[in-house]
Amino acid sequence: MHLPTKVLLGAAFLCVSTVAQAELTWEKIELEQSPPPGAESAVFAFQYQNKGDKPIHISNVRTSCGCTTAALKKNDVAPGEKGEIVATLKIGDHSGLQQKTVTVDTDDTAHPQTILTLKATVTQFLELQPALVYWQANEDPKPKTIVAKAGKGVTMKSLEVTSSAPEFTTKVEPGSTAGEFKINVTPRDTAHQLNANLSIKPDSAAGAGTKVFTATARVMPLVMPPPTPAPTTAPKA
Amino acid sequence: MRSLLRQSLLLLGLACLPAAGQALYFHDKVSWQSRIAEADMIEVDLARSWGVEAIWIDARPAVDFDRDHVPGAILLNEDRWNELLPQFLQEQWSPEKKIVVYCSSESCNLAGDVARRLRDEAKLPNQIRVLKGGWEGWLKTRK
Repeated sequence: MHLPTKVLLGAAFLCVSTVAQAELTWEKIELEQSPPPGAESAVFAFQYQNKGDKPIHISNVRTSCGCTTAALKKNDVAPGEKGEIVATLKIGDHSGLQQKTVTVDTDDTAHPQTILTLKATVTQFLELQPALVYWQANEDPKPKTIVAKAGKGVTMKSLEVTSSAPEFTTKVEPGSTAGEFKINVTPRDTAHQLNANLSIKPDSAAGAGTKVFTATARVMPLVMPPPTPAPTTAPKA
Repeated sequence: MRSLLRQSLLLLGLACLPAAGQALYFHDKVSWQSRIAEADMIEVDLARSWGVEAIWIDARPAVDFDRDHVPGAILLNEDRWNELLPQFLQEQWSPEKKIVVYCSSESCNLAGDVARRLRDEAKLPNQIRVLKGGWEGWLKTRK
Protein backbone atom coordinates (compact mmCIF):
# COMPACT_ATOMS: atom_id res chain seq x y z
CA MET A 1 0.00 0.00 0.00
CA HIS A 2 1.35 3.46 -0.92
CA LEU A 3 2.10 5.95 1.81
CA PRO A 4 -0.68 8.48 0.90
CA THR A 5 -3.25 5.67 0.93
CA LYS A 6 -2.08 4.58 4.37
CA VAL A 7 -2.29 8.15 5.62
CA LEU A 8 -5.77 8.66 4.23
CA LEU A 9 -6.95 5.38 5.71
CA GLY A 10 -5.48 6.34 9.07
CA ALA A 11 -7.21 9.74 8.98
CA ALA A 12 -10.51 8.16 7.95
CA PHE A 13 -10.20 5.69 10.84
CA LEU A 14 -9.63 8.54 13.27
CA CYS A 15 -12.70 10.40 11.97
CA VAL A 16 -14.95 7.35 12.05
CA SER A 17 -13.86 6.37 15.56
CA THR A 18 -14.60 9.95 16.78
CA VAL A 19 -18.09 9.96 15.25
CA ALA A 20 -18.88 6.55 16.68
CA GLN A 21 -18.20 7.82 20.19
CA ALA A 22 -20.56 10.80 19.86
CA GLU A 23 -23.75 9.19 21.11
CA LEU A 24 -25.85 12.10 22.35
CA THR A 25 -25.99 14.38 19.33
CA TRP A 26 -27.50 17.84 19.23
CA GLU A 27 -29.31 19.32 16.28
CA LYS A 28 -27.82 22.72 17.19
CA ILE A 29 -25.76 23.77 20.17
CA GLU A 30 -26.32 27.47 19.52
CA LEU A 31 -29.67 29.14 18.95
CA GLU A 32 -30.36 32.78 18.22
CA GLN A 33 -33.52 34.85 18.05
CA SER A 34 -34.85 38.40 18.18
CA PRO A 35 -37.92 38.50 20.43
CA PRO A 36 -40.49 41.20 19.63
CA PRO A 37 -40.14 44.47 21.60
CA GLY A 38 -41.84 44.22 24.96
CA ALA A 39 -41.65 40.39 25.10
CA GLU A 40 -41.27 39.10 28.65
CA SER A 41 -39.28 36.01 27.76
CA ALA A 42 -37.61 34.12 24.92
CA VAL A 43 -37.82 30.33 24.65
CA PHE A 44 -35.15 28.16 23.04
CA ALA A 45 -35.56 24.41 22.39
CA PHE A 46 -32.34 22.43 21.98
CA GLN A 47 -33.13 19.11 20.25
CA TYR A 48 -31.05 16.01 20.91
CA GLN A 49 -30.99 12.35 19.96
CA ASN A 50 -29.17 9.37 21.38
CA LYS A 51 -27.55 7.93 18.28
CA GLY A 52 -25.56 5.37 20.21
CA ASP A 53 -26.54 1.88 21.23
CA LYS A 54 -26.45 2.45 24.99
CA PRO A 55 -28.79 4.55 27.18
CA ILE A 56 -27.47 7.91 28.33
CA HIS A 57 -28.15 9.54 31.67
CA ILE A 58 -28.31 13.33 31.81
CA SER A 59 -27.04 14.02 35.30
CA ASN A 60 -27.17 17.80 35.48
CA VAL A 61 -28.44 20.80 33.54
CA ARG A 62 -27.39 24.22 34.77
CA THR A 63 -27.67 27.74 33.42
CA SER A 64 -25.13 30.54 33.43
CA CYS A 65 -27.37 33.02 35.22
CA GLY A 66 -30.51 33.30 37.30
CA CYS A 67 -32.30 34.97 34.38
CA THR A 68 -32.35 31.70 32.46
CA THR A 69 -34.13 28.47 33.36
CA ALA A 70 -33.73 25.12 31.62
CA ALA A 71 -36.28 22.32 31.66
CA LEU A 72 -35.67 18.67 30.88
CA LYS A 73 -38.58 16.20 30.69
CA LYS A 74 -36.55 13.09 31.52
CA ASN A 75 -32.99 12.34 32.48
CA ASP A 76 -32.59 8.94 30.80
CA VAL A 77 -32.37 8.78 27.02
CA ALA A 78 -32.78 5.37 25.38
CA PRO A 79 -30.86 4.50 22.18
CA GLY A 80 -32.51 6.24 19.24
CA GLU A 81 -34.69 8.39 21.50
CA LYS A 82 -35.14 12.08 20.76
CA GLY A 83 -35.78 14.86 23.24
CA GLU A 84 -35.22 18.51 23.99
CA ILE A 85 -34.01 20.88 26.63
CA VAL A 86 -36.13 24.00 26.78
CA ALA A 87 -34.31 27.10 28.00
CA THR A 88 -36.28 30.21 28.89
CA LEU A 89 -34.59 33.58 29.09
CA LYS A 90 -36.42 36.08 31.26
CA ILE A 91 -35.96 39.37 29.41
CA GLY A 92 -36.92 41.81 32.16
CA ASP A 93 -35.56 45.23 31.23
CA HIS A 94 -32.55 43.79 29.43
CA SER A 95 -31.43 45.36 26.16
CA GLY A 96 -29.10 44.47 23.30
CA LEU A 97 -27.42 41.12 22.76
CA GLN A 98 -28.05 38.66 25.57
CA GLN A 99 -25.83 35.59 25.48
CA LYS A 100 -26.33 32.84 28.04
CA THR A 101 -25.27 29.21 28.30
CA VAL A 102 -26.79 25.97 29.48
CA THR A 103 -24.34 23.28 30.59
CA VAL A 104 -25.46 19.67 30.20
CA ASP A 105 -23.61 16.89 32.02
CA THR A 106 -24.10 13.26 30.96
CA ASP A 107 -22.52 9.86 31.51
CA ASP A 108 -21.56 9.77 27.81
CA THR A 109 -17.84 9.15 28.21
CA ALA A 110 -16.99 10.63 24.82
CA HIS A 111 -18.81 13.91 25.52
CA PRO A 112 -19.53 14.18 29.24
CA GLN A 113 -20.33 17.87 28.99
CA THR A 114 -22.05 19.98 26.33
CA ILE A 115 -22.42 23.73 26.48
CA LEU A 116 -25.50 25.07 24.74
CA THR A 117 -25.53 28.76 23.85
CA LEU A 118 -28.59 30.91 23.48
CA LYS A 119 -28.50 34.40 22.06
CA ALA A 120 -31.30 36.92 22.04
CA THR A 121 -31.12 40.37 20.52
CA VAL A 122 -33.50 42.35 22.69
CA THR A 123 -35.01 45.50 21.27
CA GLN A 124 -36.32 48.03 23.75
CA PHE A 125 -39.90 49.13 23.42
CA LEU A 126 -38.89 52.74 23.91
CA GLU A 127 -35.35 54.04 23.94
CA LEU A 128 -34.59 57.22 25.88
CA GLN A 129 -31.41 59.09 25.09
CA PRO A 130 -30.25 60.40 27.41
CA ALA A 131 -32.14 59.00 30.37
CA LEU A 132 -30.97 61.99 32.41
CA VAL A 133 -30.87 65.74 31.83
CA TYR A 134 -29.24 67.92 34.44
CA TRP A 135 -28.16 71.48 35.06
CA GLN A 136 -25.33 72.60 37.28
CA ALA A 137 -26.29 75.07 40.01
CA ASN A 138 -26.81 78.54 38.55
CA GLU A 139 -26.40 77.28 34.98
CA ASP A 140 -28.50 79.03 32.33
CA PRO A 141 -31.90 77.27 32.59
CA LYS A 142 -32.13 76.57 28.86
CA PRO A 143 -34.25 73.60 27.73
CA LYS A 144 -32.49 70.26 27.29
CA THR A 145 -33.76 67.49 25.05
CA ILE A 146 -34.38 63.79 25.58
CA VAL A 147 -34.93 61.82 22.38
CA ALA A 148 -37.50 59.04 22.76
CA LYS A 149 -37.38 56.47 19.99
CA ALA A 150 -39.83 53.62 19.48
CA GLY A 151 -38.22 50.19 19.13
CA LYS A 152 -38.03 48.42 15.78
CA GLY A 153 -41.48 47.21 14.78
CA VAL A 154 -43.30 49.43 17.30
CA THR A 155 -45.80 51.95 15.96
CA MET A 156 -46.03 54.96 18.25
CA LYS A 157 -48.03 58.05 17.39
CA SER A 158 -47.74 60.11 20.55
CA LEU A 159 -46.18 60.32 23.99
CA GLU A 160 -47.50 61.74 27.22
CA VAL A 161 -44.88 63.14 29.58
CA THR A 162 -45.52 64.14 33.19
CA SER A 163 -43.00 65.66 35.57
CA SER A 164 -43.13 64.73 39.27
CA ALA A 165 -41.95 68.24 40.18
CA PRO A 166 -43.78 71.34 38.92
CA GLU A 167 -40.46 73.18 38.70
CA PHE A 168 -39.73 71.32 35.46
CA THR A 169 -41.87 71.85 32.38
CA THR A 170 -41.89 69.43 29.47
CA LYS A 171 -42.88 69.78 25.85
CA VAL A 172 -43.09 66.91 23.35
CA GLU A 173 -42.31 67.48 19.66
CA PRO A 174 -42.14 65.02 16.79
CA GLY A 175 -38.59 63.91 15.99
CA SER A 176 -36.83 63.60 12.67
CA THR A 177 -38.25 60.15 11.84
CA ALA A 178 -41.51 58.31 12.47
CA GLY A 179 -41.68 56.94 15.99
CA GLU A 180 -39.17 59.48 17.27
CA PHE A 181 -40.05 62.27 19.70
CA LYS A 182 -38.15 65.12 21.29
CA ILE A 183 -38.94 65.84 24.92
CA ASN A 184 -37.77 69.33 25.81
CA VAL A 185 -37.28 69.79 29.53
CA THR A 186 -36.87 73.20 31.18
CA PRO A 187 -36.27 73.98 34.85
CA ARG A 188 -37.97 77.04 36.34
CA ASP A 189 -34.60 78.12 37.73
CA THR A 190 -31.27 76.59 38.65
CA ALA A 191 -30.65 78.43 41.90
CA HIS A 192 -31.88 75.50 43.99
CA GLN A 193 -31.35 71.75 43.91
CA LEU A 194 -34.23 70.01 42.15
CA ASN A 195 -35.06 66.40 41.28
CA ALA A 196 -37.86 65.08 39.14
CA ASN A 197 -39.02 61.87 37.55
CA LEU A 198 -40.38 62.33 34.06
CA SER A 199 -43.01 59.67 33.44
CA ILE A 200 -43.27 58.86 29.75
CA LYS A 201 -46.32 56.97 28.53
CA PRO A 202 -46.67 55.84 24.90
CA ASP A 203 -50.12 56.01 23.30
CA SER A 204 -52.35 53.00 23.80
CA ALA A 205 -52.08 51.90 20.14
CA ALA A 206 -48.37 51.22 20.61
CA GLY A 207 -49.20 48.13 22.66
CA ALA A 208 -47.10 48.91 25.74
CA GLY A 209 -50.13 48.36 27.96
CA THR A 210 -49.79 50.25 31.19
CA LYS A 211 -46.00 50.39 30.98
CA VAL A 212 -44.55 53.76 31.88
CA PHE A 213 -40.95 54.70 31.14
CA THR A 214 -38.98 57.07 33.32
CA ALA A 215 -36.33 59.68 32.66
CA THR A 216 -34.73 61.94 35.26
CA ALA A 217 -34.27 65.70 35.44
CA ARG A 218 -32.05 67.33 38.05
CA VAL A 219 -30.60 70.64 39.09
CA MET A 220 -27.41 69.76 40.92
CA PRO A 221 -26.63 71.17 44.37
CA LEU A 222 -24.23 74.03 44.62
CA VAL A 223 -20.80 72.64 45.41
CA MET A 224 -18.89 74.97 47.65
CA PRO A 225 -15.18 75.14 46.83
CA PRO A 226 -12.90 74.14 49.70
CA PRO A 227 -11.85 77.15 51.75
CA THR A 228 -8.58 78.59 50.63
CA PRO A 229 -6.07 79.35 53.37
CA ALA A 230 -5.61 83.03 54.13
CA PRO A 231 -2.52 84.46 52.42
CA THR A 232 0.35 84.81 54.76
CA THR A 233 2.45 87.89 54.48
CA ALA A 234 6.11 87.60 55.14
CA PRO A 235 7.29 89.75 58.06
CA LYS A 236 9.16 92.80 56.95
CA ALA A 237 12.81 92.66 57.64
CA MET B 1 12.64 5.88 9.76
CA ARG B 2 12.27 8.84 7.44
CA SER B 3 9.04 7.36 6.10
CA LEU B 4 7.65 6.99 9.62
CA LEU B 5 8.49 10.60 10.43
CA ARG B 6 6.87 11.83 7.21
CA GLN B 7 3.78 9.73 7.94
CA SER B 8 3.53 11.14 11.47
CA LEU B 9 3.86 14.70 10.22
CA LEU B 10 1.20 14.13 7.59
CA LEU B 11 -1.19 12.69 10.19
CA LEU B 12 -0.48 15.60 12.50
CA GLY B 13 -1.15 18.04 9.67
CA LEU B 14 -4.45 16.34 8.86
CA ALA B 15 -5.47 16.43 12.51
CA CYS B 16 -4.80 20.16 12.59
CA LEU B 17 -7.22 20.87 9.72
CA PRO B 18 -10.47 20.28 11.65
CA ALA B 19 -8.96 22.01 14.68
CA ALA B 20 -8.21 25.09 12.59
CA GLY B 21 -11.73 24.96 11.14
CA GLN B 22 -13.24 24.75 14.60
CA ALA B 23 -11.10 27.62 15.84
CA LEU B 24 -12.28 29.78 12.94
CA TYR B 25 -15.93 28.83 13.42
CA PHE B 26 -15.96 29.31 17.17
CA HIS B 27 -13.58 32.28 17.39
CA ASP B 28 -16.32 34.69 18.49
CA LYS B 29 -18.36 32.15 20.39
CA VAL B 30 -16.05 30.96 23.11
CA SER B 31 -17.10 31.88 26.62
CA TRP B 32 -13.65 32.76 27.91
CA GLN B 33 -13.39 35.81 25.69
CA SER B 34 -14.40 38.91 27.61
CA ARG B 35 -16.69 41.29 25.75
CA ILE B 36 -15.32 44.19 27.78
CA ALA B 37 -12.36 46.16 26.47
CA GLU B 38 -9.33 46.14 28.75
CA ALA B 39 -9.42 49.96 28.92
CA ASP B 40 -12.92 49.83 30.40
CA MET B 41 -11.83 47.61 33.30
CA ILE B 42 -10.21 48.43 36.60
CA GLU B 43 -8.23 46.44 39.15
CA VAL B 44 -9.74 46.07 42.61
CA ASP B 45 -6.90 47.90 44.37
CA LEU B 46 -7.11 50.93 42.11
CA ALA B 47 -10.91 51.08 42.42
CA ARG B 48 -10.57 50.92 46.22
CA SER B 49 -8.07 53.77 46.16
CA TRP B 50 -10.75 56.02 44.64
CA GLY B 51 -12.52 55.96 48.02
CA VAL B 52 -15.47 58.32 48.27
CA GLU B 53 -14.79 59.60 44.78
CA ALA B 54 -16.40 56.44 43.38
CA ILE B 55 -19.93 55.11 43.27
CA TRP B 56 -20.04 51.30 43.36
CA ILE B 57 -22.80 49.63 41.37
CA ASP B 58 -23.77 46.00 41.92
CA ALA B 59 -25.12 44.58 38.64
CA ARG B 60 -25.91 41.12 40.06
CA PRO B 61 -29.44 39.84 40.70
CA ALA B 62 -31.11 41.32 43.81
CA VAL B 63 -30.87 38.00 45.68
CA ASP B 64 -27.05 38.07 45.45
CA PHE B 65 -26.92 41.74 46.40
CA ASP B 66 -29.10 41.08 49.45
CA ARG B 67 -26.78 38.28 50.56
CA ASP B 68 -23.71 40.51 50.55
CA HIS B 69 -22.21 43.33 48.54
CA VAL B 70 -19.39 45.88 48.49
CA PRO B 71 -20.06 48.32 51.36
CA GLY B 72 -21.94 51.33 50.07
CA ALA B 73 -22.69 49.72 46.70
CA ILE B 74 -26.10 50.24 45.18
CA LEU B 75 -28.18 47.70 43.28
CA LEU B 76 -28.61 48.47 39.59
CA ASN B 77 -29.22 45.49 37.35
CA GLU B 78 -30.96 44.98 34.03
CA ASP B 79 -33.75 42.85 35.53
CA ARG B 80 -35.37 46.02 36.92
CA TRP B 81 -33.49 48.64 34.93
CA ASN B 82 -36.46 50.94 34.30
CA GLU B 83 -37.18 51.11 38.02
CA LEU B 84 -33.65 51.14 39.45
CA LEU B 85 -31.98 53.55 37.01
CA PRO B 86 -34.19 56.58 37.89
CA GLN B 87 -33.65 55.84 41.60
CA PHE B 88 -29.90 55.82 41.09
CA LEU B 89 -29.91 58.97 38.98
CA GLN B 90 -32.01 60.87 41.51
CA GLU B 91 -30.47 59.70 44.75
CA GLN B 92 -26.84 58.71 44.24
CA TRP B 93 -25.55 59.97 40.92
CA SER B 94 -23.19 62.90 40.76
CA PRO B 95 -21.38 64.13 37.63
CA GLU B 96 -18.04 64.42 39.41
CA LYS B 97 -17.86 60.86 40.69
CA LYS B 98 -16.34 57.81 39.07
CA ILE B 99 -18.47 54.71 38.68
CA VAL B 100 -17.32 51.14 39.33
CA VAL B 101 -19.66 48.37 38.17
CA TYR B 102 -19.25 44.76 39.20
CA CYS B 103 -21.01 41.42 38.82
CA SER B 104 -20.19 38.00 40.22
CA SER B 105 -16.93 37.06 38.52
CA GLU B 106 -14.54 37.68 35.66
CA SER B 107 -16.68 35.71 33.23
CA CYS B 108 -20.06 37.34 33.86
CA ASN B 109 -21.35 39.87 31.37
CA LEU B 110 -23.82 41.72 33.59
CA ALA B 111 -21.44 44.46 34.71
CA GLY B 112 -20.30 45.09 31.15
CA ASP B 113 -23.90 45.39 29.99
CA VAL B 114 -24.81 47.82 32.79
CA ALA B 115 -21.68 49.90 32.11
CA ARG B 116 -22.53 50.01 28.39
CA ARG B 117 -26.08 51.18 29.08
CA LEU B 118 -24.92 53.86 31.52
CA ARG B 119 -22.48 55.11 28.91
CA ASP B 120 -24.47 54.67 25.68
CA GLU B 121 -28.10 55.01 26.73
CA ALA B 122 -28.07 57.16 29.85
CA LYS B 123 -25.13 59.11 28.35
CA LEU B 124 -23.55 59.66 31.74
CA PRO B 125 -20.43 61.82 31.52
CA ASN B 126 -18.69 59.94 34.33
CA GLN B 127 -15.66 57.71 34.08
CA ILE B 128 -17.26 54.24 34.15
CA ARG B 129 -15.20 51.11 34.78
CA VAL B 130 -15.97 47.41 35.21
CA LEU B 131 -14.29 45.74 38.18
CA LYS B 132 -11.81 43.05 37.14
CA GLY B 133 -12.72 39.75 38.76
CA GLY B 134 -16.06 41.13 39.94
CA TRP B 135 -17.41 40.28 43.38
CA GLU B 136 -15.12 37.23 43.60
CA GLY B 137 -12.12 39.45 42.93
CA TRP B 138 -13.25 41.93 45.56
CA LEU B 139 -13.71 39.14 48.12
CA LYS B 140 -10.15 37.94 47.55
CA THR B 141 -8.77 41.33 48.50
CA ARG B 142 -11.19 42.07 51.33
CA LYS B 143 -9.31 42.83 54.50
